[in-house]
Amino acid sequence: MAPRKNQRRLAPLGCLPAPGRPAHPPLEASSSALLAESAQLVGTFPVTLCSESVIHPRARIDAQAGAVHVGKRCIVHERAVVGAVGASGRVVAMGVTLGDYVTVETGATVEAGDTAVGEGTTVGAGSVVGAGANVGKNCTLTAYTVIKAGEVVPDYTVVYSNGLRRIDRRGVEVLKQKAQARQIDVLRRLIPSKPEKFMPAPPKVKQQQQPPPQAS
Amino acid sequence: MSRRPPRGEYIETDTGNKVARKATLVGTQNIMLGGKTVIQPEVMIRGDLNTAVSIGRYCFLSRGCCLRPPGRMYKGAFTYMPLRMVDHVFVGPGSIVQAASIGSHVHIGARVAIGEFAIIKDYVRILDGTVVPPNMVIPSFSIVAGQPARIIGEVPEGGHDAFELRDLYKTVGNNPQPAV
Repeated sequence: MAPRKNQRRLAPLGCLPAPGRPAHPPLEASSSALLAESAQLVGTFPVTLCSESVIHPRARIDAQAGAVHVGKRCIVHERAVVGAVGASGRVVAMGVTLGDYVTVETGATVEAGDTAVGEGTTVGAGSVVGAGANVGKNCTLTAYTVIKAGEVVPDYTVVYSNGLRRIDRRGVEVLKQKAQARQIDVLRRLIPSKPEKFMPAPPKVKQQQQPPPQAS
Repeated sequence: MSRRPPRGEYIETDTGNKVARKATLVGTQNIMLGGKTVIQPEVMIRGDLNTAVSIGRYCFLSRGCCLRPPGRMYKGAFTYMPLRMVDHVFVGPGSIVQAASIGSHVHIGARVAIGEFAIIKDYVRILDGTVVPPNMVIPSFSIVAGQPARIIGEVPEGGHDAFELRDLYKTVGNNPQPAV
């Protein structure tokens, strides 16, 4: 059998790393997104960062098992993993979709595999959202919550105390979104953004060498 | 042959702090160590959020724990507030601490999450896997466990010596002494 050519179909050629550069997934980041220098981006599927999202230092976006989409004004805190390869190791085209205004707190894991986290949801510190889970809008997962693979969490649910659930009827989602926007304003001043570190290097333009002026 | 001593796993400062080379301290200008504090590998401290993280003496930050200052809306603006930790505080492996203040002689177990603006007074023991909700105030001499955390008991009389971390301090570093 002849060896297949072009096995890495999903990564367009321009995104293949130059020799000596670490491999980064093809990244489509808004100019207003904040991507810290010590964040990690791995994998070959595309990663999208919408406007004003913040990726803290040491956060990890893993596109090895599917594409990652981060919505508007999301915050991914340090040590959080978005798009971790799940227990099944299944690879699908769409790994994780984070809606707008999602917060993924310190040390939380969102596994890949058509996982969706709805708008305004907070994934608490150290929580795990399993592969293929569908977390609704404006949910709160408290610290160390585990959402199993494929589980569906309805909108406005608070998951607490090792899996108990209740419905959040406070109606504060607009206020929370405003607070999130303010928080991002502050973070923008504190964390230096380096999205170009994860972008492919621009093609070097050969400078026309001018002949040195000859002394007459 | 090189005359330089071999590079140890820890950096030991003049004041006796032992900071692992593999620890991640972000924004070191805002991190204050009181002396004789141990920071193990893979610990992360966020000092880059424009506010102080102050740690007292004989604190012990175990492998993989994370300290970050809490933040909230204050007078219409989002601000991060300082995280204060007094002496003899033990933080277990994998714990995430976002408290406003932690008193002296506090023992925090493994995989504990301490929510934002929690206040923990002196001589408190937090058992493994506890989730302390945001804004909780834990009085002195209590034992706390559960998700969310509840006070399940009191530190018994004479049980205060167990909180001393002087001996634990000696058992780590570049030339550790065996535990007594």
